[in-house]
Amino acid sequence: MKILEVKNLTVLNRHTKEVLLDNISFKLNQGEILGIVGESGSGKTLTGLSVLGLLDKSVFNIKHGSIIYNNIDILKLSDTELQKIRTRSISVVFQEPMLSLNPVQKISTQLIEVIKLHMNHNADEQIKVARDILVKTGLNDTQKILDSYPHMLSGGQRQRIMIAIALVCKPEILIADEPTTALDVTLQLQILELLKNVRTENNMSMLLISHDLDLIKNYADRVIILKNGVLLEEGSSFEIFNMPNHEYTRLLIDSSPEKLITEKKQSEMLLDIQNLNCRFPVNNAFFKKNKKYFTALSDINFHINSGETIGLVGESGSGKTTLGLSIMQLLDYSGKIFLNNVDLSLLSPEKLRESRKDYQIVFQDPYSSLSPRMNILEILSEGILSFNNISESKIFKKCSDLMTEVGLEPSMLRRYPHQFSGGQRQRIAIARALSMKPKLIIFDEPTSALDVIVQKNILNLIVDLQHKYGLSYCFISHDLKVISAISHRIYVIKDSKIIESNISDELISNPKDNYTKKLIQSSFIS
Amino acid sequence: MNIQSNFWDKFSTNKRNKYSLLIFIFFFVLSLFAEILSNDKPIVLSIDDKLYFPIFVSYTDKQFGGFFDTEADYKDEFITSRLKEKSNWAIFPLNPHSYDSINISQSAPNPARPSVYNYLGTDDRGRDVLARLIYGFRLSVLFAFALTAIGIIIGIFFGAIQGYFAGRVDLYMQRFIEIWSSMPELYILIIFSSLFEPSISLLIILLSLFGWMGLSDYVRAEFLKGRNMEYVVAARTLGLSNTKIILKHILPNSMVSVITFLPFRISGAILVLTSLDFLGLGVPPDTPSLGELLAQGKENIEAWWLSLTTFLVLVGTLLLLIFIGEGIRESLDSRSS
Repeated sequence: MKILEVKNLTVLNRHTKEVLLDNISFKLNQGEILGIVGESGSGKTLTGLSVLGLLDKSVFNIKHGSIIYNNIDILKLSDTELQKIRTRSISVVFQEPMLSLNPVQKISTQLIEVIKLHMNHNADEQIKVARDILVKTGLNDTQKILDSYPHMLSGGQRQRIMIAIALVCKPEILIADEPTTALDVTLQLQILELLKNVRTENNMSMLLISHDLDLIKNYADRVIILKNGVLLEEGSSFEIFNMPNHEYTRLLIDSSPEKLITEKKQSEMLLDIQNLNCRFPVNNAFFKKNKKYFTALSDINFHINSGETIGLVGESGSGKTTLGLSIMQLLDYSGKIFLNNVDLSLLSPEKLRESRKDYQIVFQDPYSSLSPRMNILEILSEGILSFNNISESKIFKKCSDLMTEVGLEPSMLRRYPHQFSGGQRQRIAIARALSMKPKLIIFDEPTSALDVIVQKNILNLIVDLQHKYGLSYCFISHDLKVISAISHRIYVIKDSKIIESNISDELISNPKDNYTKKLIQSSFIS
Repeated sequence: MNIQSNFWDKFSTNKRNKYSLLIFIFFFVLSLFAEILSNDKPIVLSIDDKLYFPIFVSYTDKQFGGFFDTEADYKDEFITSRLKEKSNWAIFPLNPHSYDSINISQSAPNPARPSVYNYLGTDDRGRDVLARLIYGFRLSVLFAFALTAIGIIIGIFFGAIQGYFAGRVDLYMQRFIEIWSSMPELYILIIFSSLFEPSISLLIILLSLFGWMGLSDYVRAEFLKGRNMEYVVAARTLGLSNTKIILKHILPNSMVSVITFLPFRISGAILVLTSLDFLGLGVPPDTPSLGELLAQGKENIEAWWLSLTTFLVLVGTLLLLIFIGEGIRESLDSRSS
């Protein structure tokens, strides 16, 4: 039995007249989880927002179409009528648990506010309802949670509270917009299981919006595929994943990273890190004895052989980025970092600058890692020029070669970063690192900001470059799937310590540490 | 599409911005030629078939057949009578008065009402109001440009150092700024104007000592943000020097706040000069200035042509600058489409 029907929904951007959703039609049945899959910019979030009647009319123009719920067209309702439907009948969980809660109000206030608004209960009953829903979402210490402010809770707890708020009025439809994307992998599984259980218990319907195919495959009953605002394919989860009709769907399914590297022969050691410690002061105390520190890295020991990729995997806050920045000599640390048997921490500033040629870094966000006011030629030539004085024509030749190397047209050299897509920008960032002819490149989550198809292409490029130039890589990521596809050896880092390390396949098939086991279990859910 | 042309497109779509800028530029450029527009000397004159250019060259009275070795007074009866002779002629500027020329032949008591001789009347010393407005406007705007330019250079310099090096450098300089900004600016101005001969350059120096701090705060904030951007970190890993990183990477990206500030600082500077002149603490007594005209208007409340015209010039200038400023701010705001 269908509970919600979207018919021929077309949405335009009011200013640019760009078509954001093009004639989208789908149905949501009672008790069903409908997965909406697409890359960033495909219109999946927009679809979710329009079901809630949350589209900003000054930006979006709903050209035609209808969203029928209970024989009413949601798009035709007034704001007050919509308010009654929201939360009580159709509810939403957003991606960012850090931003969705008001930081200056206690959880109890925020949760009870919703109950007050939508249900007729007296004060005692309100608290009882609040506690019940918290227990249901797996937060058992209800009194403590209700008395907390959002900042006192972890990301997982906050997302559970968001779910509790969304579910407290027992809505018929829940829209979950990337509900676990901002969470660590080990938490993802718990949250999704929770949503699935609530669904069966309340016979609720769900729109699960995600870019993560594995997640959709495991949790959705039916799936629709969106691309550039067009609905490409619709079908049951089984059909879509086993017999995809559309070429794009096939591309999406194929894009989950496979093993990309071959076994590595033994070679000499390039980078050796001994007893690396790093800590940051957390307060601004005047006297030294009052200073408090946050330990970001404690007693890290590891090495990279030449021509080898090592993967550093860990949750957010585990210290993996700090480790990358320490190797790049951008932070104060204690301990020893040897590159080719030279202790980098003992070099003079001038020698250190010289040595920077040998190790380069590629950052996560290709949007902030390229200066918006410099064109690509300037960006690529900058490093070369800071060490050599060479003629303009030679520089141009060099930069053209670099562009070809990373699969871009040399004719694009005069363009500015904002004229490129995310994947192209990341290629430029890689070209910039290559321009120094380094021995070691650190990749700090280089594909996390990219769509899955682009991700695969970038990973292929990275591996090809390694074969060609015998580069060594230190690959930092939270995504064990990516790490295992590209690394020879893996180090698992948690709470600023390395807790396990092994050859890639060994670590995946035979993990020793409990945390590693959990990580592997949640990363490979399919 | 580059940033500059995109900026101009956005700026000129709003007609108010475009016309404010054009009108302001028109009047400013016009005022730069104040000597040709409003002067008591003729632009060209011909006596005995010989051409003279009194605005550009100073001629003595003797050269025209007079008695004095001093510069000729072209309003003097002797020269006016010479000009009336057969083939002699002269072209006077549109407004035949300079800012300090006193019309002696004027019969009405000063300040005199607007008349065919003085289009906007005279002030209480018989000087032409229109001439003083033109020269005063030019001085105000030029003064404001100079003050703003100096303030921006010093402000960017200190703000950049504070923001880029952060930590201890920032801490000490911030304390210094706190102490410096708590100095009583007005008293220092009063003291200095009694110690030294008041002059425009002294005024610029004194005001510049304090004027950079507002801007350096903004630049500092931009640099604090910019130094942690990934492209700056990337530049550091490429082995670039600090100066290069500051000039090539952070500064171009933090100029938006500076440029946005510019018209507001200019209008602020005009207002400061006017108020100081009004109080008699500003430019030397004979200099044409809007503030001094306002003060005269206050003294001679019945002479409406003094206060009203100055008021209109001042309000018009400030209004135009604020419209331009708002236009720039809107056009540089990347969030608005």
